[in-house]
Amino acid sequence: MHIASLLRALAAALLLQAVSCSSALAIEPGERVIVLNSGEGTVSVIDRATRKVVNSYPVGKEPHHLMPVLNKDDELVVANSASNDLVFLNSLTGEVKRRLSRISDPYQLAYSPDGKWFVSVSLRLDRVDIYAMPNYELKARIATKKTPSHVAFSADSSIAYITLQDSDELVALDLNSQKESWRMKIGKTPAGIWMSPQGLLFIGIMGQDFVQVVDPAKRETVKKLVTGRGAHNVFPMGDGTRALVSNRVDGTITPIDYKALTVGKPIKVGRGVDCMEVSADGKEVWATVRWEAKVAVIDMTGAKPIEYIPVGRSPHGIYFKSHARRDR
Amino acid sequence: MEFLEQAFESLVGGVYTTLVDPTIYSLGLMSWAERAFDATAFFVGGLLQVIATAALCLPLERVAPAQTISDQRHVRTDVLFTFANKVGLFPLFAFAALWVLFKPFESWLRLQGVTPWSLEDLWPALAGMPGLSLLFYIVILDLAGYWLHRAQHQLNWWWQLHALHHAQRDMTFWTDDRNHIADELLSAFWMAMVALAIGVPPQQFPLLLFATKFMESLSHANIRWNFGPLKYLLVSPQFHRVHHAISIGHEGQHRGVNFAVVFSFWDKLFATADFRDSYPATGVADQLHGRHYGDGFWETQWLGFVRLKQYFRSR
Repeated sequence: MHIASLLRALAAALLLQAVSCSSALAIEPGERVIVLNSGEGTVSVIDRATRKVVNSYPVGKEPHHLMPVLNKDDELVVANSASNDLVFLNSLTGEVKRRLSRISDPYQLAYSPDGKWFVSVSLRLDRVDIYAMPNYELKARIATKKTPSHVAFSADSSIAYITLQDSDELVALDLNSQKESWRMKIGKTPAGIWMSPQGLLFIGIMGQDFVQVVDPAKRETVKKLVTGRGAHNVFPMGDGTRALVSNRVDGTITPIDYKALTVGKPIKVGRGVDCMEVSADGKEVWATVRWEAKVAVIDMTGAKPIEYIPVGRSPHGIYFKSHARRDR
Repeated sequence: MEFLEQAFESLVGGVYTTLVDPTIYSLGLMSWAERAFDATAFFVGGLLQVIATAALCLPLERVAPAQTISDQRHVRTDVLFTFANKVGLFPLFAFAALWVLFKPFESWLRLQGVTPWSLEDLWPALAGMPGLSLLFYIVILDLAGYWLHRAQHQLNWWWQLHALHHAQRDMTFWTDDRNHIADELLSAFWMAMVALAIGVPPQQFPLLLFATKFMESLSHANIRWNFGPLKYLLVSPQFHRVHHAISIGHEGQHRGVNFAVVFSFWDKLFATADFRDSYPATGVADQLHGRHYGDGFWETQWLGFVRLKQYFRSR
């Protein structure tokens, strides 16, 4: 009986090994998932293979968004809006490398594709700051209409497109002159924004239930894609066809075909679903579920969440290194 | 501890997603989602705090009362104040007023290139030690609270409002929240200015913040308790009762004694401490000559404005 038990345990161990090896194909050794808990100012570090939280540490006050540092594959930048600083992390392990202080109220952040500019958006104080790279040298502080939220760039890096939540508008800022170029109404409380390779902007209309597709060259709306209440963020899947939309109020993620401008079936994830990270093979999506203090792991083949991992209060930005391409 | 925090987060998340999130969506206020979530935590936390404080203080007030309550109706008014303050409209009103007054000022400052300093800028290592950082913030904010409290007594016009807090002759732990709305607003504005000057405290330790708020309620409790040697560190119910004492607390030397909110050493440091070991009657001296500060919630608010008007007219 003991031998039988031993064999069963051995078989289970081998099976587990096989499963973890197969899922490890798209994972770098030692890869961590980095989650910003905006409500408590901490980072949760999750082992991507075992899906266990392996570390949690303070990073600053109100960290909301993070992204890879331009041309530095091994570094992430975290925006601490209430600490007025940026913190740079090791992108594989989540360890703190350095801190850059005196960056005023950074909420959302982005590097222009040509690497020339770093744009920091102050949601609370109605302002956009433009820094010249590589030294984060402040070039302009631009007062905007109400509640600037998320940012995207034109392919030639000449324009930053920013959603204005409480003005219900999209604003185009000319990065060279550092002046407002134009503005247009796009829907109630616009939030997340993504520029497709076709040059169309996809904007989550959080106060309503759709993604507004905008042609910035013509300064006109193209189509409304109804995805769910509280349409918030738009993340490409990296396959050149699909993007995912998180719908915060419905608690769903809806795939869209950004070429055909069609909408897929929503996946129920959890209330307050927000930022997402897509695996390089597109099979797995990790998403923060803000009001439930969890991260959801979604199997895109079965189109359902397969695991929820408790993290800190109001988790917002999320990242892992072997992610899908973000430009298509 | 972790279990308690997770249970709290689940409760806040449940309340928010069931009641608040769909409401703000239907009202077209989704831009306020994050603040509304924080407010939900504040109100749920406030309600739990009222329950926990009552559970701890009510038995103590029965076992070792400092005074006999003359009229339970006085206490009931303070209960109403507590709910208005901890889970009601007072903080919402204060937040809205601060938002309207403060945000344009702060936005303007930032546009001029003024980025406020924080304690973490002065001592960068604090950013990695949020427990210690929070302790520093608590101590500095408590110092700001001490000087705010002195101003409430020593500026005559402000006293007209703050007197409401002192006009309770049946003082219990509920009295902590017995304040005039204008007094609350001025205090909130002062503390917001301080927070702008030193940065905002980290929020990782709700239980520690809960403990400081609990200390404030406890200091008003109707309990014969002086904390022994700890009285030189923390404000005890006995120490604070002297602050509320007729002809001692406001009308005595320095226009008052024992102004500290959480840490009693501020009074020692600034020579306003009175460590006498007694439990004198509480109230304002002119109440002995018939001055009426109001019984019900609305009357106390109204009479506060009347006193303020009379004060400015008499000048």
